[in-house]
Amino acid sequence: MTKMTRRQALGTIGAAAAAATLPAMPALAADRSIRHFWWGNPERDRRTFDVIDVFQKAHSGIEVSGETIGWGDYWTKMATQTAGKNMADLVQMDYRFLFEYVRRGALLPLDEHIGNGLDLSNFDKGPLSGGMVDGKLYALNIGSNSQVVPYNARLFDEAGIDADVINWTHEEFAAVCEQITSKTGVKGSDDNSLMIESMEAWARQNGRDFYDADGNVSATAEDVAGYWQYWADLRDAGVVTDKNMTVILDKPMSESGIVTGASAMSLYWSNQLVAVQSLMSDPIGAAMVAHKTGGGYGQFIKPSMFMSLTRDAKDVEAAIMYMNDWINAPDATSIIGLERGIPANPDVRAALAPSFTPAEKLSVDYFNAIQDKVGPLPLPAPKGAGEVRDNFMRTGTEVVLGNMDVKEAAALFIDDAQSIVDRAR
Amino acid sequence: MKKFFARNAPGYVFLTPWFIGFFFLALGPILASLYLSFTRYDMVADPRWVGLDNYAYMFEKDRRFWKALEVTFTYVALAVPARLIMALGVAMLLDKGLRTIGLYRAIFYLPSLLGSSIAIAILWRQLFSADGVVNQVLANFGIQGAAWISNPDTSLYTLVVLAMWQFGSPMLIFLAGLRGIPRDLYEAAEIDGTSKRRQFFRITLPLLAPVIFFNLVLQTIEAFKTFSSAFIISNGTGAPADSLLFYTVYLFNEAFKFFRMGYASALAWVLLLIIGFFTAVSFFTSKYWVHYENERD
Repeated sequence: MTKMTRRQALGTIGAAAAAATLPAMPALAADRSIRHFWWGNPERDRRTFDVIDVFQKAHSGIEVSGETIGWGDYWTKMATQTAGKNMADLVQMDYRFLFEYVRRGALLPLDEHIGNGLDLSNFDKGPLSGGMVDGKLYALNIGSNSQVVPYNARLFDEAGIDADVINWTHEEFAAVCEQITSKTGVKGSDDNSLMIESMEAWARQNGRDFYDADGNVSATAEDVAGYWQYWADLRDAGVVTDKNMTVILDKPMSESGIVTGASAMSLYWSNQLVAVQSLMSDPIGAAMVAHKTGGGYGQFIKPSMFMSLTRDAKDVEAAIMYMNDWINAPDATSIIGLERGIPANPDVRAALAPSFTPAEKLSVDYFNAIQDKVGPLPLPAPKGAGEVRDNFMRTGTEVVLGNMDVKEAAALFIDDAQSIVDRAR
Repeated sequence: MKKFFARNAPGYVFLTPWFIGFFFLALGPILASLYLSFTRYDMVADPRWVGLDNYAYMFEKDRRFWKALEVTFTYVALAVPARLIMALGVAMLLDKGLRTIGLYRAIFYLPSLLGSSIAIAILWRQLFSADGVVNQVLANFGIQGAAWISNPDTSLYTLVVLAMWQFGSPMLIFLAGLRGIPRDLYEAAEIDGTSKRRQFFRITLPLLAPVIFFNLVLQTIEAFKTFSSAFIISNGTGAPADSLLFYTVYLFNEAFKFFRMGYASALAWVLLLIIGFFTAVSFFTSKYWVHYENERD
């Protein structure tokens, strides 16, 4: 190695330091710049950066810097940036946090831009209304999804299952679990005892949303006890995965039963079907969460992600331009595909259809099949809902481990849930 | 006063980087967190003064606060002695004057360097999961292993084992301490025919007391602050059934998951008081059991 002079060495270090900070800084050449912040995964990040490239080519002079982080840290960083009055111009928003951010004045309404930079003439009305707060549009739907029960189609074939997996009931689901376990030796399903979204679907089938319009808990201890008892029976029958797997919380997808081969069914959101399939060699199918005979609809179609404009946006016009391309420009939408959920623009869906992979086709077919079997979108959950979810998993763990009686645990959970939302007010 | 500074000036000069860091980087946030501990602050809206409400809620209503204390205290009570005994044992083995001592020291220190890393916590999860390596080894001996990590009765002990394995830094300090014990004491004892066991309790332990004390204080503080291993192994939740709800994991969740910055700040100050209390107790009781060689009395 040749020796460097002190000056050269310092110069190199300086250049390296400058290069390291570069991606975070807008390039000096562009006179306009916007920041886009989203939670992602490697696949989503790749697609989003590609969209950014395409946008920058189409609109020279506008520099877009993308910032991405996993879901777990996203809201921490977002809250920190909000507190520091340094939010990105455009942020990815989730239904459960939308009201909170709007009420605190962190987001700007989009209404004045509609038809004036933001073209929504070709946008489904249902998905659009999910982003309204107090009559104004604060969040643009960039994909819809719903709950789904992905299943291992090979195991279903082997066990000779021919159930109607869209319309099936809890009794049929239990029978399928039993049949798969006895025929193939693989457990029928993951044990969903600790999945609050699935319990909420159960409560809706009984005619109650988990939270009422005032943000109080309206599901009852009987709803929760019924749910836990249903899974306890399956557990006792040995047709769902072992309790040791169940009590590991918030497992990565790669450790779910369907992917590891420990079970034939898991529980996910429909935009994740593509990701589940990519981790498996067996083909998968998509089933609905089982229904209650004569009960209400448990599932609903939900905006999987939104894009919102923040109060810290400096170049609103450029940000709206980017947002508009995101939902309308064919070269952007073809990159985004279905990864964030089903797009709300029918032309975009039609343009994507010819190049679908089997898993993408599966998720669109599933989405179409459930359209008239879902209830209305419930109001966003109140503050504290995230903590209620944690409490549900915690109390449920005691039930799964057999440390607590089902009825007693359900009553305790409902009490706790109400005091959590009270405290969060 | 002047004399004191003149004598200690070099020490203060060496401490300047720390002072600069403390006064310019740490002091502000520390005072801010003291203020925030009397507020309700969700990071989006401005902090709102609530007086002692956070502290009152913590002691009167918060079941999980007490659960977190229970988990943390149990861990400290088990992990600190376990790690110190392990460290002293290994240090005594290495003190035998092996030729390749440098190599062994490095090898034994390695787990401590790795131990605080995320990778080891993930490795630990794999080792002790229901179908993990530990159970597969046990199965070879016909033993049906437990689901160590997903069973609330055993999950904490897997972390105690992890702590034991990270004995490196106290081991190095013990090793230095052992080297400092005059050899002639042992020679005299040998000539008198004193057993090895007696030599250990009558010579090694008493002369090592200052070093043991130093390690004890340091390791206790360290153990109270345990975070990353518990956080990783429980996926950040403290599960199963809050058996891994370390104080710091609870604090982190309150702050960054539920955005209760005010309450989390109060939790942080209570932790500081707890650690301060135990350090003070160690110091005040030390005169009864720690003897310094150059002490005159």
